[in-house]
Amino acid sequence: MNAIILSAIWAVIMMLGSFMVKRKGNFRHIAAFGLLVLFVANIADTYGYSLFNFNNHGFLQFTRFGYLFNSIAIFSSLIYVLITGKEISRYGNHTAEYFALIFFVMCGVSMLAFYNNLLTLFLGIEIMTIPLYILTGSDKRNMKSNEAALKYFLMGSFSTGIMLMGIVFSYGGTGTFSLDVSRAGIPNLYNHVASFLEIVGLLLLLVSLAFKVSAAPFHFWTPDVYDGAPSVFTSFMATIVKAAGFIAFIKLCLVRMTATSAAIDWKMIFAIIIIATLLVGNITAVFQQSVKRMLAYSSIAQAGFMLFSLFSVNDFAKEGILLYSAAYSLATIGIFAVLVKMKDYTFEGYNGLAKKQPLLAATNTVFLLSLAGIPLTAGFFAKYYMLAAVVKTGSYLWLVIVAVLFAAVSVYYYFRVIQAMYFKDGNAETEAITPSFKAGLLLVAALIILIGVYPGIILNWLYF
Amino acid sequence: MNILNILIDTVSSPGSTSDYLPIAIQLIFAAGFVATMIALSHWIGPKRNTSDKLENFTSGIETHGDARQPMAIKYFLVAILFVLFDVEVIFFYPYAVNFKELGWSGFFEIILFVAFFLIGFIYIIKSGALKWED
Amino acid sequence: MPIQYYIALASCLFCIGVVGVLTRRNAIIIFMCIELMLNAVNLLLVAFSKMSFGAHPGASEIAAGTDAQLFVFFIMVVAAAEVSVGLAIIVMMYRNIHSVDINFLNRLKN
Repeated sequence: MNAIILSAIWAVIMMLGSFMVKRKGNFRHIAAFGLLVLFVANIADTYGYSLFNFNNHGFLQFTRFGYLFNSIAIFSSLIYVLITGKEISRYGNHTAEYFALIFFVMCGVSMLAFYNNLLTLFLGIEIMTIPLYILTGSDKRNMKSNEAALKYFLMGSFSTGIMLMGIVFSYGGTGTFSLDVSRAGIPNLYNHVASFLEIVGLLLLLVSLAFKVSAAPFHFWTPDVYDGAPSVFTSFMATIVKAAGFIAFIKLCLVRMTATSAAIDWKMIFAIIIIATLLVGNITAVFQQSVKRMLAYSSIAQAGFMLFSLFSVNDFAKEGILLYSAAYSLATIGIFAVLVKMKDYTFEGYNGLAKKQPLLAATNTVFLLSLAGIPLTAGFFAKYYMLAAVVKTGSYLWLVIVAVLFAAVSVYYYFRVIQAMYFKDGNAETEAITPSFKAGLLLVAALIILIGVYPGIILNWLYF
Repeated sequence: MNILNILIDTVSSPGSTSDYLPIAIQLIFAAGFVATMIALSHWIGPKRNTSDKLENFTSGIETHGDARQPMAIKYFLVAILFVLFDVEVIFFYPYAVNFKELGWSGFFEIILFVAFFLIGFIYIIKSGALKWED
Repeated sequence: MPIQYYIALASCLFCIGVVGVLTRRNAIIIFMCIELMLNAVNLLLVAFSKMSFGAHPGASEIAAGTDAQLFVFFIMVVAAAEVSVGLAIIVMMYRNIHSVDINFLNRLKN
């Protein structure tokens, strides 16, 4: 509860701060402090020290899983604000409002971590995405940013409409918006498990959530939006927001789709979505010329891996999705932090970066290796847990082989960047790099290696 | 004679549809009267079509330009803000319906809601979104 | 009137909205179609609530279906928030390219 309420309050503080604090540079310090407060409050909440105690009538459910994900999300955004916060003030003079919107997004993320009702699912997703439409279009004079904002808005509200139809059908079928349904008194049961309306509703919900996490048949908005949005905000959208989408999705799968699995073969559907997502993401990423657009496609490919947790809803999958969201968020935030500093976003722009900025190139290499899933980085264990979860279910083992093959493909385009940085001659132009920025990058790289060597450092939090 | 009987004898059967017949007749008569008068003045009255008469009446000021010009953005902003604040009032309905049952706790919750509302309003005023003069 | 009629009507409205979104090229009209989808949902929610078709076996008789009506309120409010952000984005685009035709949205393709 702490995180939901405090993030909303801090967003209001940032909003009012826009005409109380005169120096623009101060806003990111206020925001970073606010995220620190959120982080501490959320951990305190995990151990029962809640600031706000009231009956939420079963709309929210506070589990260790939700708390841990929330901690990861808040920590990632703290890192994000620390190392790329300065770039946010670049777009117009509404810096405080941008931070306020980020806090509103965090409020939505927290709601998604704890939701236990389709109403809170809907509200969480809307609170999370509506500020993002604004952030996407924040570069007002840039046509690409405009276009990305309009596309994101139209596609986003379209998927919201589909989601609402799913919710209302599922309500018609079960008689409640709550996630846990007692299926005893419901008439017209289909295969003795669920009514036909609920199945239709869940299918529509699946489509709309696949939209939100950019899974394959519904991924087409992702590259354009991620490419067009200002790079700072792409970094935020591609990491924390996407991970929150998966957390919302896996909760729905754990409760509703497991309960109705006798009526419809969800595993089959997810297997098709996974194959399509991995195929589209990895193959298209190979042919990209711009690193930013390559990262957009690679985020689709990474989503394909995260979908494994929805396929195999078990304890391994729950641990895996937490590890994956931490590893993926940290690495992508790091890569985008470097990308924002580059003058040229194409692969050629990275040529010879290792000679000019050895530290940037080295940390960037760690991030890319983590995304590719090389051992000793966090990405390896993230992928390992995902595949282990599939093996544990004991069916569809060929999916694992396909996934490993596509992971090998992904190594190609991640290594293209490393190759450009280290083995090509060129004059990679960057903006001025401050020592604190370098320190931030080093911290992220250290964290990634730490998680990669000892993944228990995150997962132990789930139990102790 | 039957029609007249109905006009006089309105109390005969309370609640039946025939009670409304006088009203219907009156409505038809009113509409017919208006239509006849307009038609008569149209046929009988003299007509002089001059160019002045075909112009839009704008209180004596000469019209210029097309009315379908792009409007200033501030009108748009005010309209959008109106929509937002207007729709938020919807949450008062459930409170108003359960006013007594919810008691003081409900009152404090609605105060909290209004407070959040007011902060948004203060933000709008402070950031100058409602200033019409430049 | 049986609930099936309402389900059919709402589904039809919803499908009209979906088809409109997929085929029209004017951003404002696409936007209106999305609103049509949301209103189809509202209609169906109110119908389910009124029919008490959704009466949860455990719920008390008076409260049966009121949660759906409250959901309608939330949808309306969120839709208003979406309208304001969406229209702002459309106006922003109109000021830059003087058109609301989404066929112009192809700069990012290459």
